[in-house]
Amino acid sequence: MTKKITYGGAYVPEMLWDTLRKLTAEFEGAKKDANFQNEFQNLLRNFSGRPTPLIFAERATKDLGGAKVYLKNEGANHTGAHKITHCLGQGLLARRLGKRMLIAETGAGQHGVATATVAAKLGLECVVFMGSEDIRRQRPNVFLMERLGTKVVPVEYGSKTLKDAVNEALKFWMEHLDEAHYCIGSVLGPAPYPEMNRYFQSVIGREIRSELMERENKLPDAVVACVGGGSNAMGSFYDFIADASVKLIGVEAGGIGKKIGEHSSRKIAGELGIFQGYKSLFLQTEEGQIAPTHSISAGLDYPGVGPELADLYTNGRVELTYATDAEAVSAVDYFAKLEGVISALESAHALAEVRKIAPKMSRDSIVVATLSGRGDKDLFNFARAFKDESFRDFLKDEYNRYE
Amino acid sequence: MNNLEKLFAGKKGGLFMAHMIAGCPTMEESEKVAEALVKGGADIIELQIPFSDPMADGPAIAVASEEAIKGGATVAKSLALLEKVARLGKPVAVMTYLNIPFRYGISKFVTKIAKTGASALIVPDCPFDTEEGRELLTACKETQVYLIPVVSPGVPKERLEQLATDASGFVYCTSRQGITGANSKFAKELVDFVKELKEIFKLPIAVGFGVKSKEDVAELAKVADIVIAGSFFIHVIKTSSPGSVEKSLKSLIS
Ligand SMILES: Cc1ncc(COP(=O)(O)O)c(C=O)c1O
Repeated sequence: MTKKITYGGAYVPEMLWDTLRKLTAEFEGAKKDANFQNEFQNLLRNFSGRPTPLIFAERATKDLGGAKVYLKNEGANHTGAHKITHCLGQGLLARRLGKRMLIAETGAGQHGVATATVAAKLGLECVVFMGSEDIRRQRPNVFLMERLGTKVVPVEYGSKTLKDAVNEALKFWMEHLDEAHYCIGSVLGPAPYPEMNRYFQSVIGREIRSELMERENKLPDAVVACVGGGSNAMGSFYDFIADASVKLIGVEAGGIGKKIGEHSSRKIAGELGIFQGYKSLFLQTEEGQIAPTHSISAGLDYPGVGPELADLYTNGRVELTYATDAEAVSAVDYFAKLEGVISALESAHALAEVRKIAPKMSRDSIVVATLSGRGDKDLFNFARAFKDESFRDFLKDEYNRYE
Repeated sequence: MNNLEKLFAGKKGGLFMAHMIAGCPTMEESEKVAEALVKGGADIIELQIPFSDPMADGPAIAVASEEAIKGGATVAKSLALLEKVARLGKPVAVMTYLNIPFRYGISKFVTKIAKTGASALIVPDCPFDTEEGRELLTACKETQVYLIPVVSPGVPKERLEQLATDASGFVYCTSRQGITGANSKFAKELVDFVKELKEIFKLPIAVGFGVKSKEDVAELAKVADIVIAGSFFIHVIKTSSPGSVEKSLKSLIS
């Protein structure tokens, strides 16, 4: 008999015990508190701009020749990605808890910008930790965070990417427990974070359902989302878990190969482990050292996956697959030309999967892909990936204008 | 009898626990570091098996762990080192992060360190009341290894009382909230907190985090039964040599 695995948990030093207990209690209370709900809904609607549109990708549908393709445009949110939703939720909780500071980790910089934005909006201080490798890849977001009044702290050791930023944020938090709330950026970390962020993000799935009902009067056959830690995926999937006819597909970063260090896919090589406060699937060595990861998209370049998602994957409800760096870049181009949407490199992994599966599905079926973010932040990465000569000249020019 | 039990039977307070990382600066030199710590007067050696992402450690130990792993400090080699360190005659407490024993197999790991000579185990990211915490407790009880709780000022009494029902050996108390590192700002409430710990746990109390001078040791020794230093030695190793650890330790506790 195999033992049932309990994913998640709260594997943290005792000094966090009381803080997590208070956060859990505040979260449980807020769920039932009409004032909190009103405030949260008001910010989602009148600050972030929800509901986000569900785009019928008509030309892509025709070109792919199979399922009708819809894109849930989370990139239309204020700050350009789904991340702002859980930041608003957590920011309100932090204020209720009497905290005066938000801290966050960031990979792509999207969660950092969203946290910085919410901190400014709610009148809180903000410190964001970011791996120096990611700072290099996503410099424009650093600039934005600083404009928003946030202090961005580079993390110079480890792999200098997202996991190291989480480590540093956790450490800073342990030194500032009384004044700071750690606004974790995905459905991971110790309880209650995975459930809490999923609770806030589940608005994505509910909107997909109601928007599609209104337009097509039926459920989707498949919902596809990219998976870094899993917040946009869990947010998109959660409302459909009980609808067995809806396939739920998470797309991880396949990077440049299948060897350790060349990708960030837990499907390819994830093993059960306990890290950063939770039990889940992690890319790691035989001995349990956390392994290096790679992805062209900083937001998917992380060794672990949210525990609820790992659970849904192991029990078969969610399918995991992956798209390579090259497939992601190509998907950005494809949907830009055909649909007028420039996707973030993270979300483009989901779009790449749509290009693979839509042609194989019948014409009366529907696939919804979550476009977790828009591509503005990747401008420099795109320009380089497409070897854009004139953009290079522009950068030189721009540099000279500074002198 | 557990070596720590013997130590505590003879000497109630004024003890010093010195921390080191397996593989820092190299696997071979780690043995010299251990010897220097013993010669320098350490009563207990805390041997950290390096983990890639040590959540409760500051930059000094995090970077040293990373370098140790890069230099080939595998779990197998760290355990071989443990055997040598234990032979030096001082009680050894193994410290690591949960994913290491979890991957090794918790019961297998505890049995192995017990056989190899460890008297205690410290896993700062594993609360006793998790599935793995329970497994650790059971395995430790069976092999007479003490599983050491790590607490900090600010942990409420109610929680301390829960932990006390399962604690054995000694209590590891951090001098403040936060992480390890060579910065001695002890929490204002530390003195009262340690008194509370003594009442609740009825075990020797070890205090560490940020100990870097003779004055720090003297100050903490007033309240603690065991004073711990770690990052301090990493700094010594990096700026001079493993051999100079002996002298530095002597100057710390003389
Ligand atoms: C646009 C976008 N999509 C997806 C992700 C990945 O995170 P998650 O899997 O939590 O949605 C990020 C993370 O930075 C992101 O910025």
